Amino acid sequence: MSGNRHKKGLWLDPRAKLFLILMCVLSSMFAPSLAYQFVLVMLIAVLGAFFGKWKYVIKAVCFYAVICALTVWIMAEMTGTLRTMFIAFLGLFHKVYACGTLAGIVLTTTKVNEFLSAMNRVHAPKKLVIPMAVMLRYIPTIQEDWRYITDAMRMRDVSPSLAGFLTHPGMTVECIYVPLLMAASKAADDLSVASVTRGIENPNPRTCLVQIKCGISDWGVMAVAVAYLIFELCVRGGVIG
Amino acid sequence: MSNQVNSMNKGLTVKDLVTTGIFTALLFVFVLVGGVFFATNPVLTFFMPAGGGLLAGPIYLLLIAKVHKRWSLSIMGVIMGIIWFVTGMHWAFALGYLIMAIVADFVAGAGQYKSKKLNSLSYVLFSLGGTGSYIVFFADPNGWAQTMLGNGTEQSYIDTMQATANTGILIAMFAAAIITSAISAFVGCKMLKKQFEKAGITA
Amino acid sequence: MIEFENVSFSYTGQEHGGLRDINLKISDGEFVLFCGRSGCGKTTITRLVNGLIPQFYQGELHGRVLVDGQEISNIPMYQIAAKVGSVFQNPRTQFFNVDTDSEIAFGIENEARPPEKLAERVEQTTEDLHIQKLRNRNIFELSGGEKQKIAFASVYAMNPHIYLLDEPSSNLDMTSIQELKEHLRLIKKQGKTVLIAEHRLYYLMELADRIVYLEKGEIKGIYTPEEFWQLSEPDREHMGLRAVDLQAVFPQKAHLPAPTPVLELRNVTLRYKKQTILHDIELSAGKGEVIGVVGHNGAGKTTFSRALCGLHKDCDGQFLWESEPIERKERLKRSYMVMQDVNYELFADSVEAECSFGIRNPDQTLVNATLEELGLTQYRERHPNTLSGGQKQRVAVAVSMICGKDLLVFDEPTSGLDFDSMTQVAGLIRRLSNMGKVIFIVTHDFEFVCRTCSRVLHFDEGEMPDDVPVTMDALPKLRELFSVSDGKER
Repeated sequence: MSGNRHKKGLWLDPRAKLFLILMCVLSSMFAPSLAYQFVLVMLIAVLGAFFGKWKYVIKAVCFYAVICALTVWIMAEMTGTLRTMFIAFLGLFHKVYACGTLAGIVLTTTKVNEFLSAMNRVHAPKKLVIPMAVMLRYIPTIQEDWRYITDAMRMRDVSPSLAGFLTHPGMTVECIYVPLLMAASKAADDLSVASVTRGIENPNPRTCLVQIKCGISDWGVMAVAVAYLIFELCVRGGVIG
Repeated sequence: MSNQVNSMNKGLTVKDLVTTGIFTALLFVFVLVGGVFFATNPVLTFFMPAGGGLLAGPIYLLLIAKVHKRWSLSIMGVIMGIIWFVTGMHWAFALGYLIMAIVADFVAGAGQYKSKKLNSLSYVLFSLGGTGSYIVFFADPNGWAQTMLGNGTEQSYIDTMQATANTGILIAMFAAAIITSAISAFVGCKMLKKQFEKAGITA
Repeated sequence: MIEFENVSFSYTGQEHGGLRDINLKISDGEFVLFCGRSGCGKTTITRLVNGLIPQFYQGELHGRVLVDGQEISNIPMYQIAAKVGSVFQNPRTQFFNVDTDSEIAFGIENEARPPEKLAERVEQTTEDLHIQKLRNRNIFELSGGEKQKIAFASVYAMNPHIYLLDEPSSNLDMTSIQELKEHLRLIKKQGKTVLIAEHRLYYLMELADRIVYLEKGEIKGIYTPEEFWQLSEPDREHMGLRAVDLQAVFPQKAHLPAPTPVLELRNVTLRYKKQTILHDIELSAGKGEVIGVVGHNGAGKTTFSRALCGLHKDCDGQFLWESEPIERKERLKRSYMVMQDVNYELFADSVEAECSFGIRNPDQTLVNATLEELGLTQYRERHPNTLSGGQKQRVAVAVSMICGKDLLVFDEPTSGLDFDSMTQVAGLIRRLSNMGKVIFIVTHDFEFVCRTCSRVLHFDEGEMPDDVPVTMDALPKLRELFSVSDGKER
């Protein structure tokens, strides 16, 4: 998730986005056939376009089209165990692809603080919000730490790669985990001190600088999502078609 | 240096919560790194839980050693679940981690979070959370393939699914996941003893 | 009003940093500087006022600490937080959010102020501290100095009566220290009480009302800045304190004739993510030379050091070692970087194991001799993580010596070190220089440069405009590079 504000395009309430993901999961689950899956991806692409992510959605749709064609071909041609393997793999792939595409859009358009604000608004308990916030904040730190650690490893002639791992497993493991976990442990101390001295233990519910609210566009998008799911269910139930 | 005076209290302190958050981040990254190679490979996809379990053992065990209180692992599971969910993973995958983390929490709790054996077992159980989506597949292979095959499920597919080879895959998936996560837990225990306890960073 | 009444404290399982029989009254609006060697207890004093002791750090506490007549240990942390704001040493690990706006608002959000008030207060803070440029940014893209400003802003937004700062300048460059000083001046003008524990004294001399000197947990003297100015240099150094006036710091090395070059850079250009960071660098360095590297954040010091060590790939031009071209991999074998956060390069479970880590047939006599030489023999069984910052640094240096590295790069080796440790590092570097190693030191520390370096490289805007010898003749230029002003400006 980025820390910068996105000025162009649509803005949606993070709660609405979460709802969309949920609807997307359900729609993927109940999709009567590949065609409906494809329509779902198209719908998501339209949403992405509203967010101004043209490149991303075009790539996503093209890639999916290729996979769909491949799936049809595999279903028609292959047999035996290999086919079973592919069915398992592609089954997962199709179930996940739409959600993954949507998640890509959601993650790149939601600021961490908006997300946390949303969690506050749905009255998620502090015991969940604090670790969640810390986790999101710590992932980039891991990346920074990793850079230092690989530098340090190279200077000690330990290769930070798969080959290095296979030739000197014990040493490589220590080189990776020890500094990373030491740093994590120190960060845990410092960060708790820095948050306790700024009053995080206040029992009153926190307020939030970023104010989120559900607007017309949120309701509109959610309505479309629900409608599509109901439509799918009707098709499956034999009400339509 | 940083033991808390109120660490004797029952509830999780801010420090415990922050620690949980930081270690969840590490755990998430390591599970992802371990699993991504398998998850994107059609032939090896069933070994994704095994890959995911291979790397995170030391992190998981150090988290227990630092917090050793109930709910820390469960919170971690909930966060993992939410993150898997919003990153578009299969729902059963997210749910699997959530449920298994809670189970793992109770297993480790049975030893007051101090028994290395139970903590290791708890990690193995936690790692099995990654099998969630595959269990859904094996439970209902028809439903899984339906989207692709349309409503008319073919007999040949059902036959293949019922063939012993597939039970084999199921067993292999579990066995691999258990073995890798046990190895990881073993390495974690070693490191805990050799490094982290000596360095004084466990609580 | 802050009162310490017969306060004694010792950390559980730790000898250093405790306090004995502290009696002290600090009135409202006072600016008090606590100084002394590492482990003298100055940080502990700040922790007693912000309630981290006894509520966060475990130990044995006697006596009372009162803030406005209330005993600190009886007030919940979040209520103390409204009165007492704390800024800490490491800017990397004290922020909670990913973006600056939320971080500034973090404290006031916890106070549960209504949302309109939050935005208002954040605006006010931005204006007062002149941090418009830092608004709405990703914190991970900020420099250390900028992060520290955000940490300060977050506390400022809460508008506490009392500010506590624990070595806030440790990771800052000269410009950021100047800016920190301005912020401190501002809160002093607002009539806030300020308690600050620091090794670097010079930037606080104008602001402090009282200077409390601690030794081994006891107050050994309370000075006014005037009295402090009058301490002779040997007295001050005997107390283990750093310079109070950088104008009185002069290069200490006699300028040596340039030694025959062993490392040469010809036309070296460095790129990072396809952007040119430094171009056309020409440089030669001799055996035993100690070369300081200065420049603003983002001037390319890090990329330069990584390229020297063969860690940075994207570079053009030629590196020569003893007149022979030397490839990246070859440089990597010859060089070692002592990082600012040295924890990243310590992997083993004891000092001794660290020294032979990754070496196939370690030469045990060499290991022993090196440990002895660096005064580490008594710690050989200890886990590196349990050592102090200075000791860890020495372990890293020991590693470089045992691996036979000829080119050493130190990244901010004196951040957070007291006078004694600083002179120790200076001595260590002198010894390495006598052994004929080529040494580069990336640093903002003028005092340290004057003690150790023979020349200083200055990077700016993708170039290396200056290569200045550390001599009396070049003093004005050196002062300019390290922005040593007479303190009365700005």
